[in-house]
Amino acid sequence: MMAFIPPRLRKPAVIAAAGVLFGAAWLVRGGPLWWISIPALIAAPARAIFLYWGGGQDTDAGALAASHADERQQLLSLRSRALACNLAVIAAFIGLTAAIAVKAAWWWPFLVILGIAGLGYLLGLLNYGVTEAGTPDDVDTRHQTRSPVNS
Amino acid sequence: MRNRVREQRTQRGLSQAELAAALSVSRQTVISIESGRYLPSLPLAFAIARFFDLTVDKMFDPDDEEAGP
Repeated sequence: MMAFIPPRLRKPAVIAAAGVLFGAAWLVRGGPLWWISIPALIAAPARAIFLYWGGGQDTDAGALAASHADERQQLLSLRSRALACNLAVIAAFIGLTAAIAVKAAWWWPFLVILGIAGLGYLLGLLNYGVTEAGTPDDVDTRHQTRSPVNS
Repeated sequence: MRNRVREQRTQRGLSQAELAAALSVSRQTVISIESGRYLPSLPLAFAIARFFDLTVDKMFDPDDEEAGP
């Protein structure tokens, strides 16, 4: 689906859509806190516009915002996301431990986050070929190393 | 790892932006490679070497740690 969206619009579009969904959730929820949807619905397009503007800048952040990052910028983004994920997992673990210690009923969302992070890590290992057995050296090279003189 | 990107670029009178455009990378990446803060991938190292009509080992010297990251 993203292929149909010009690269510079992709991240702003995702941010705007996420913000609208978040705002809509508060509206649907109703009650005395419905007004939170107003700043959410204002902030999302503002953030999207800021990202679109940033995408036109000749900086690393601009290239990432405009989805035209080169290999170094993609590596920077990957490392930053890995750091963010590590911090989220540490925070979830601390939350889970604290919730268990105080006998709180809200321990399970932390466990869900940790579970998803663990599954995501395993999925990554599977997806990027860590579990590939490969071909044994002998089988691979036997026919290739035969001398043309003997054949 | 020391490299000769800056030397070759200035010899040819190219700006960092022009080299970046030729290699399809950002100007910031050219700056990082020249300063030795970033080691390019093998495909990019070959692209740089080919652009300057040199071999990769002439362009990047692993034995020289002077400008290493």
